[in-house]
Amino acid sequence: MRRELHAEWTKLRTEPGTGPLLLAIVAVTVAVSAAACATVTCAPARCDHDAVRLGLAGVQAGQAAVAILAVLAICGEYGTGMIRTTLTAMPRRGAVLTAKAAVVTGLTLVAGTAAVLGSVLAGRLVLPGRGFTAAPLSLADGPTLRAVAGSVLYLALIALLSLGVGTAVRDSAAAAGVVLGLLYLSSILPYMVGDPDWQRLLWRLSPMNAGLAVQATTHLSSLPLSPWAGLGVLSAWAGAALLCGGLLLRRRDA
Amino acid sequence: MRATIEVNGLRKRFGSTVALDGMSFTVRPGQVTGFVGPNGAGKSTTMRVVLGLDAADEGTALVGGRPYRSLRDPLSHVGALLDAAALQPSRTARNHLLWLAHSQGIGTRRVDEVIEQVGLGPAARRRAGGFSLGMRQRLGIAAALLGDPPVLMLDEPVNGLDPEGVVWMRGLLRSLAAEGRAVLVSSHLMSELEGTAAHVVVVGRGRVVADTSVAGLIEAASGRRVRVRTAARERAIAALARADVAVAADVGVASDVTVAGDVTVAGDGNDMLVVSGLPTERVVALLNANAVPFSEVAAHRATLEEAYMNLTGEVVEFRAAGTAAGREAAR
Repeated sequence: MRRELHAEWTKLRTEPGTGPLLLAIVAVTVAVSAAACATVTCAPARCDHDAVRLGLAGVQAGQAAVAILAVLAICGEYGTGMIRTTLTAMPRRGAVLTAKAAVVTGLTLVAGTAAVLGSVLAGRLVLPGRGFTAAPLSLADGPTLRAVAGSVLYLALIALLSLGVGTAVRDSAAAAGVVLGLLYLSSILPYMVGDPDWQRLLWRLSPMNAGLAVQATTHLSSLPLSPWAGLGVLSAWAGAALLCGGLLLRRRDA
Repeated sequence: MRATIEVNGLRKRFGSTVALDGMSFTVRPGQVTGFVGPNGAGKSTTMRVVLGLDAADEGTALVGGRPYRSLRDPLSHVGALLDAAALQPSRTARNHLLWLAHSQGIGTRRVDEVIEQVGLGPAARRRAGGFSLGMRQRLGIAAALLGDPPVLMLDEPVNGLDPEGVVWMRGLLRSLAAEGRAVLVSSHLMSELEGTAAHVVVVGRGRVVADTSVAGLIEAASGRRVRVRTAARERAIAALARADVAVAADVGVASDVTVAGDVTVAGDGNDMLVVSGLPTERVVALLNANAVPFSEVAAHRATLEEAYMNLTGEVVEFRAAGTAAGREAAR
């Protein structure tokens, strides 16, 4: 396993696309978070906005860069045929996928932490000017810290989900389409049905809606899922995708 | 470990297409074994099965007595070049070898060694995507040599090389075999293997057509044929026909054929005849006895290409027909 990890790390490190994608994760997340904060005004009398969720809104955009990073880590090899070189050098296919998952997740955790902390900083700079209380987004605040750490974990789980889908689908464009479609389309789907029971069920099943529940710090009781349970739904999606991808990788001819 | 590849009764279908139909052969150490057959004969599929990339429906493929997937650090057991394009074009040549080395616990020094060995030193830090096919083949060879393996398996390694590269590759293959390694080299052109391979496994339609030494193959294809160069063709044919033995000739496209009893002589329209079934001395004696002038009489030696065409002509024909009936008829 150590050799598979070393090889996959060297691969990702020497792929010129990795650096720009990691930068994109940070830049897109922070920029969109700052923009979201700048477009909201809070009336001093009754400010009903969830400042934390607003300050971390960029995660919804940054996750696309995470998905592309993870999809390319496996589909890039299928596109060029390098997967055959990889599986010739490392015939233990499960170990290869595990190593890829570890390396991609590790990098996502690093970039995700930078992206989320950058968003917090942006929120702290922008929000006071928009009518919010003087010092929003304090990491000393329990729910805020949970939202921040949870957002980093959310991005890591998106990476695993994307890697699993990429392994199963094999084609970069198709895999990216499946992942982004699953995330964004399923997030608006609940709002397109009238029945409230169906709405709640679809909301709970949506990896993005459920997963981002971890960012909520206000009106928790009105959410269909508790923050950690929501992240659990995303974990289940990621686990299922990886399992499916792993089984197909082992079964199929390369 | 033993430096061998043992392929035993491999069968594999892709949908309705039979890719491997009982493929069996053994590659021994110390010589270059040619793996020859027309396109689609199952060469690459066999190699992918040996490397554990494709699963066979039936049969086994062992490297040094073990299935490939059970090997730890497989590149130290088998070096393979299947597809020179199977790399990520944005990565440099050296970094491509670097991750391969790391996957086997091989150090950086060995990477620089093989880069120099295949002559890619000046291009090592260039992106492999910008390489010519010949340079990619060299990079693929470097990857195959990385683990200093006792077994090498190369799919069409001469493809895309310039004449200098072809000479280099042949020398490399011979020297690797001389070091006691088992070297399997596939090609769809028998002539590419002339002077390199000591043994050939000829395949067609997913099975072995011939598994023989190159010397034996050429001898069999040469038959007992004698080439006669003479300006007096008609008299020569008449003289040989009188010997009352089967005399057949087939140099190039036969332009005139004479049949007298059970004697057949064909020429190529010029001054060359090829006579089968008579020893050289007897031909000379017959020509002399009839005072037929000739400028050359020599035992005919088939080229490897000729020998191969004799073996696979029928196979290719049935492939072109492509019917189940044709396959049945061939059995």
